[in-house]
Amino acid sequence: MKTPLAWLNLVHEKTRLLVAIAGVAFAVILVFMNLGFLGSLAKAASMIYSQLNAEVYLVSPQTLEISTTKAFPIERLYQAAGIAGVERVMPLYTGYLQWRNPETRTNRSIFVYGINPNDPVFVSPEIQSPENQAALRRPDTALIDRLSRPEFGPQTTGTVTEVDRRQLTIGGQYTLGGGFAADGTLIMSDQNFRRFFDPFPLRLISLGLVKLQPGADVEQVAAELRRTLPEDVLVLTRPQIIQRERDYWIGTTSTGFIFGMGVIVSCIVGVVIVYQILYTDISDHMKQYATLKAMGYRSQFLFWTVVQEAVILAVLGYIPGFAISLGLYELTLRATNGGLPIGMELGRAVHVLLLTIGMCSLSALVSVRKVIVADPAEVF
Amino acid sequence: MSQSMSQSMSQSMSQSMSQLVGSTTLETNSDPNAYAVQIRGLNYYFGQGDLRKQVLFDIDLDLLKGQIVIMTGPSGSGKTTLLTLIGALRTVREGSLKVLGQEIVGLSRAELVNVRRNIGFIFQAHNLFDSLTAAQNVEMAVELLDEWGDKRQKAIEMLSQLGLADRVDYKPSALSGGQKQRVAIARALVNQPALILADEPTAALDKKSGREVVTLMQQLAKQEGRTILMVTHDNRILDVADRIITLVDGRLETDDNLENFVNTHDPKSLDRRMFMM
Ligand SMILES: Nc1ncnc2c1ncn2[C@@H]1O[C@H](COP(=O)(O)OP(=O)(O)O)[C@@H](O)[C@H]1O
Ligand SMILES: [Mg+2]
Repeated sequence: MKTPLAWLNLVHEKTRLLVAIAGVAFAVILVFMNLGFLGSLAKAASMIYSQLNAEVYLVSPQTLEISTTKAFPIERLYQAAGIAGVERVMPLYTGYLQWRNPETRTNRSIFVYGINPNDPVFVSPEIQSPENQAALRRPDTALIDRLSRPEFGPQTTGTVTEVDRRQLTIGGQYTLGGGFAADGTLIMSDQNFRRFFDPFPLRLISLGLVKLQPGADVEQVAAELRRTLPEDVLVLTRPQIIQRERDYWIGTTSTGFIFGMGVIVSCIVGVVIVYQILYTDISDHMKQYATLKAMGYRSQFLFWTVVQEAVILAVLGYIPGFAISLGLYELTLRATNGGLPIGMELGRAVHVLLLTIGMCSLSALVSVRKVIVADPAEVF
Repeated sequence: MSQSMSQSMSQSMSQSMSQLVGSTTLETNSDPNAYAVQIRGLNYYFGQGDLRKQVLFDIDLDLLKGQIVIMTGPSGSGKTTLLTLIGALRTVREGSLKVLGQEIVGLSRAELVNVRRNIGFIFQAHNLFDSLTAAQNVEMAVELLDEWGDKRQKAIEMLSQLGLADRVDYKPSALSGGQKQRVAIARALVNQPALILADEPTAALDKKSGREVVTLMQQLAKQEGRTILMVTHDNRILDVADRIITLVDGRLETDDNLENFVNTHDPKSLDRRMFMM
């Protein structure tokens, strides 16, 4: 085996090596956190639709995502009910209310789903339980999401609080998660929804849910709906509405931009740190590298030595960076009560490793110039 | 330096001189293969345009194979520059310079690198990698060869010849100055280069280790018939030379065997000159 010069040079300066590893690990963690948030955004966007009991969705073309819907006439839903393959249509009303924490008496926005209690809008069997069904039918009563942030206060059944200056009683609990748009969610009947959002005409709905008969072809029914319904509603299959929502969060809002920017800035930090380390290392070994050139080594050899150092730093920094990121993901998941579905994905792990190697190689390319132009005649 | 010291020095020189009687230093030889280095009409300039400054003037010099040649001269006279030109570390533009039978004027950078692989360089500073052991530093030279599978044996053998058998796995930080310079010499000699260029190899060493290092170089060169061109200011080691050349202001001033050199250079003035440098 040839003398592993790159490796030996790196491990010779223990302190410098540790600083370099810490620097790379730091950049890796920043990248993982940014990508983690970005990923959880996409996941959170899809989460609610996997909880809804419908294959096809009707929305207003002006609707951006589920928490900022533009209402459209319920007639569209009735029209959809007549199409072959449709088993059932269900309206969904959505909006924000000011929830007062009964203990601290502070107000906080809570996201509200209004449903017809007779409709199986949600997949979760918990919401269909006799107690919850009964609670939904009581006036001024709502079910509360267990994943709502603790700032909303106690969630026990029977708790009475004030919501938009109206008394509301907690009638039961369910588990859903509010994603990025909401810290907490409520489910109430359409009748209660109309009271709390007064004036609110129930003939305008936020989202139309179309449940298909078993065995019906989703694409075919969706195409038929598009053909039949006027232009004032969009007909979207579940994958389509999820994609639309992701595009909104990642593309249209600045959220995606901010996290994307975070990744870029983290990479720049990494590049600068590795550049510093490599540059110092090269400066310290200038005489030795020039001697190698005098002995008959080509610039190519020195170039690859520096690139090797960079790749070694990348891998050594990635390992702790990856491990710490796993811990931080877990911490974030707990801190948000699972509302932020952040987690490691194999694809992301591989991408960040390649990104780290690329980042360090870039630093190598910037710093290697010095050794390429080193003149062996000057060391004599 | 005291009078008595320089006297004793010239005595020791004269003694070693007697061993050199009959040396062939100044004989001419018509066979071009007999020369390690042949220089004709070499001029060299530093800088461009108005700042252009000539440092070497019309140098003619032949180094016979197997000779140990010492080059002296005042500081700034162009000794290092001449050495780097012969070592293919700089590009020559004027004149002719043949190294080991090959004309190197007009060669590309890549071709110059190949020429360098046949030359052993020894610098004033040892320039060893602190991160590598003595053996690994020497192995770096062996790895330049196509066949380097036995690099460790070769390195150990070379280091042993230089008296470092028990130091092969030491890092430079654990070696003395003289030992480090001997590792550097081992690195320069391990590939058995036909030509060895040394620029003040003893300058950073004390008297005793300087002497040791030069004697070792001399022994190895004589055993293997290598050519050595060594720049030195150290008149204590002149006795290893078959021939001494002096460079003054970029011109070859004297070219003598040791006997003539000492005879024509009064010890006192010689001493003074060395001191000036
Ligand atoms: N890289 C360089 N650029 C310009 N001038 C140089 C350079 N190196 C040496 N010189 C000049 O060339 C002359 C010869 O220098 P050098 O060969 O180092 O002399 P010596 O080794 O005999 O002391 C000096 O005048 C020095 O200032
Ligand atoms: Mg010099």
